Amino acid sequence: MSVEQLPPSNHTLAEYVHRLESGKALLSDSPEHVVEVVGILKSYGVVLDAYSNNLIYIAEHQFLRLFPFFKYFNGEVSLDKLLRHWAHNRINYEYAEYCMKAMLWHQGGGLADHVDDPTFRKRVEPLIQAKFKFNPLMQLLHKLFPEFLPEHMRVMCYYSGLGQFWRVMSDIFIDLSDRYDRGEIDSIPQVVQHIQDGLVAAASQPITYSVTLEGETYDVLPKDVGLTFLVDTAVPYVEAIFFRGTPFPGTVSYNAQAFQIPVYQRDFAYGALFADPLPIGGSGIPPTQLMQDMWHFLPDYLHKIYQSTTRGEDDIRVKICETFQKSMFCVTTAAIRGLAPFPMDTSELSEQKENRKYLETWMSRFVESRIREAQA
Amino acid sequence: MLSALIGLPILGMILLGIMPAKSPTTRYRAIALTTAWIGFIWTVVLAIQFDPSQPGMQFSESLPWIEGIGLSYQLGLDGLSLPLIVLNALLTIVAILSTDRDVQRPRFYYILILLLNLGVVGAFIAQDVLLFFLFYELEIIPLYFLIAIWGGARRGYAATKFLIYTAVSGIFILAAFLGTVWLTGSPGFGYEVLRSQSHLLPLGTQVLLLLGLLVGFGIKIPFFPFHTWLPDAHVEASTPVSVLLAGILLKLGTYGLLRFGLGLFLDGWLYLAPWMATLAAISALYGASCAIAQKDMKKVVAYSSIAHMAFVLLGLAATTRLSIIAASTQMISHGLISAMLFLLVGVVYKKTGSRDVTYLRGLLTPERGLPLIGSLMILGAMASSGIPGMVGFIAEFLVFRGSFPVFPIQTLLCMVGTGLTAVYFLLMINRVFFGRLPVYIDRLPSVEWGERSPAIVLAVLILVLGLQPVWMTRWTEPQVSSLLMEQFDATQRSLPDVRTFDRTTLFMQTSPEAPISFPRLP
Repeated sequence: MSVEQLPPSNHTLAEYVHRLESGKALLSDSPEHVVEVVGILKSYGVVLDAYSNNLIYIAEHQFLRLFPFFKYFNGEVSLDKLLRHWAHNRINYEYAEYCMKAMLWHQGGGLADHVDDPTFRKRVEPLIQAKFKFNPLMQLLHKLFPEFLPEHMRVMCYYSGLGQFWRVMSDIFIDLSDRYDRGEIDSIPQVVQHIQDGLVAAASQPITYSVTLEGETYDVLPKDVGLTFLVDTAVPYVEAIFFRGTPFPGTVSYNAQAFQIPVYQRDFAYGALFADPLPIGGSGIPPTQLMQDMWHFLPDYLHKIYQSTTRGEDDIRVKICETFQKSMFCVTTAAIRGLAPFPMDTSELSEQKENRKYLETWMSRFVESRIREAQA
Repeated sequence: MLSALIGLPILGMILLGIMPAKSPTTRYRAIALTTAWIGFIWTVVLAIQFDPSQPGMQFSESLPWIEGIGLSYQLGLDGLSLPLIVLNALLTIVAILSTDRDVQRPRFYYILILLLNLGVVGAFIAQDVLLFFLFYELEIIPLYFLIAIWGGARRGYAATKFLIYTAVSGIFILAAFLGTVWLTGSPGFGYEVLRSQSHLLPLGTQVLLLLGLLVGFGIKIPFFPFHTWLPDAHVEASTPVSVLLAGILLKLGTYGLLRFGLGLFLDGWLYLAPWMATLAAISALYGASCAIAQKDMKKVVAYSSIAHMAFVLLGLAATTRLSIIAASTQMISHGLISAMLFLLVGVVYKKTGSRDVTYLRGLLTPERGLPLIGSLMILGAMASSGIPGMVGFIAEFLVFRGSFPVFPIQTLLCMVGTGLTAVYFLLMINRVFFGRLPVYIDRLPSVEWGERSPAIVLAVLILVLGLQPVWMTRWTEPQVSSLLMEQFDATQRSLPDVRTFDRTTLFMQTSPEAPISFPRLP
């Protein structure tokens, strides 16, 4: 009796389809990759922690402020901190904002649907009225341009949503690093499994947003709206940042010079997984500001590896970006596996076929990505 | 004092020669570098002691050598040769510093570099035309070997071509010198003696002898159509040799024309001047046009050299006080700029393995490219294009300002040539340095400070002399006035009536009191 088997894929990236089907990751497994990925995710986790705190601070304390001069200070305004800010001795919180704007720009997920819903408009109206009840100028502005302040609150929702998403991701990455330090992680599939477990665990975690004004709490995104971590923030984030790209300052990158930037936003496909790793100094693609921030928190073992390769410290941001892309292929692997219609180890041919179709759809989006370069 | 400039390289070569055969490369390099540094310091000492207000030869030395043929060991330094020996000393150091530390056959290599230094400095300070010729020919030997042994894939072809061209150049120059001595009846080859008698020669004879010098030195400079050896030599030569070739060796040709062509045959010079100016314009436009079409970075710089050396000829042809000062300034300017550009091209080639402008791209990329080298290249291109604030502007402005009243058409054509400089250099820079660094060269090794510093020193000089040009012209100005006025006086005394040019105009052109702008010669 012969058992029917799934034939090999004919996709351009069939190698990666087969890898995922066999339970492996998009990134090849090697000790060097494990060190690099865990190390970079450690520094990324530290940076995400700072980004997350600031995004949530802005959402909760800087809402409906048209000139939030000290939004990056997390409420601790001092001359010393101001001088350090001017000297650029600080975290590049701008990068977090650009990611938030990219999510807002590209839409997707329940969050985007909800903030465009009339109920959202009705829910923020009392907050706007309360905030500007003694400000006739703003009241006049609100009457003349009734969409302006609600739009501001929509942005605030994205501040909060991304802040909550990164809060979870930061913890996942720091935990990963701790497990690696304890000797519990020694392969790329284990790294992917750790991230996948973290995503699954937090998948249904509610995404909520409320602010307090003069002692009264306003639920901007109440729990009963039903926004959850995985579908409404994680997936739109991966879509916007990993795949689509950042249509904000820094867009004129080497990708642009290589004519990889489409004219229309709907065609954008030059996100983090596609980015040329040569820094452009901005927050777009590649995210030089993120590389700069991660540089400060590199674990010693990874820093030493960087110092001993190519140009040492001189091209460290390029190396950080290349490693970061490797780690993002691990995160993407976890997301792909987490969202797959059936478990990858299913023995049912029909389920395997469904998974194959699902994976090939994903792989079609990776054709122009740096998936091959990441294997080096 | 001047003999020390001859003796030092000889001493250095002897030291290199007696070193044990298996000494480390660094030791040969250290000896050559020390010799070059001492030579440079000695040159600076001479410059400090040199009195620029006093025209004529200083630190003169004279010894009879082979009296039977009239050869004497006569050395002297004036405002024309001083800047060139300083440039020679500087570029010798730069060449040694830019040589690979693990160069093959180091002993022979550094001996040849010092021999080259010796030949060039000897030619610049020789006050006997035969002695000049000996030094002039001497530098061919090391240069031939430097190209033939340490050159690129077609080094044999390039070296042989160079040898044939420069040998022919030598034949013409020697013939002109011998003819001058023979026709003037001079007892020897002393420059001053010849100078006092050469103006007695009939115009036709002067023109004939001058044509010999013009072809001979024209090959060396080189002018169109004698230029074809230069791009090949540059492409095949290693970076230090290109630096010396463009930076100083080409100046032997223009120096020879100024010192011997104009210095000995002023009447003939003025007769041929319009043709020389036209040749300069053709050469400038031809060099620039060829540079635009090149795909090899070194060839771009090489053809640029042909175009820019033509400006020297234009300045010399105009024969105004200002234009000759300008020509001398242009020699220094071109020496610094072309040396820097060749150094930078050398670094690009060393790091990327290519000089092909269609292959290279994005090298200004800060972290994985060659950003400082690219920045210096842009600075060099700006200087070469005559952007104000840099030495190229001073030299080219003076050339055009001094030449325009005399040869307006030729000057305008040369100005088009300098405009084209921006075209070909920007084309090259845009292709090589801007844009996205391709994946196939995104693992370039970093540039060491030892590789950057020679070009940085030259860049600083280009800027400093661009902002303070009098540090360059103060040596030359009195000498130029003296050279022209003495020749003018001698000519007027000997041939008061018959000449093809207007003496008053010439006086106006050459007098130190003359205004900058002059009426055109008839």
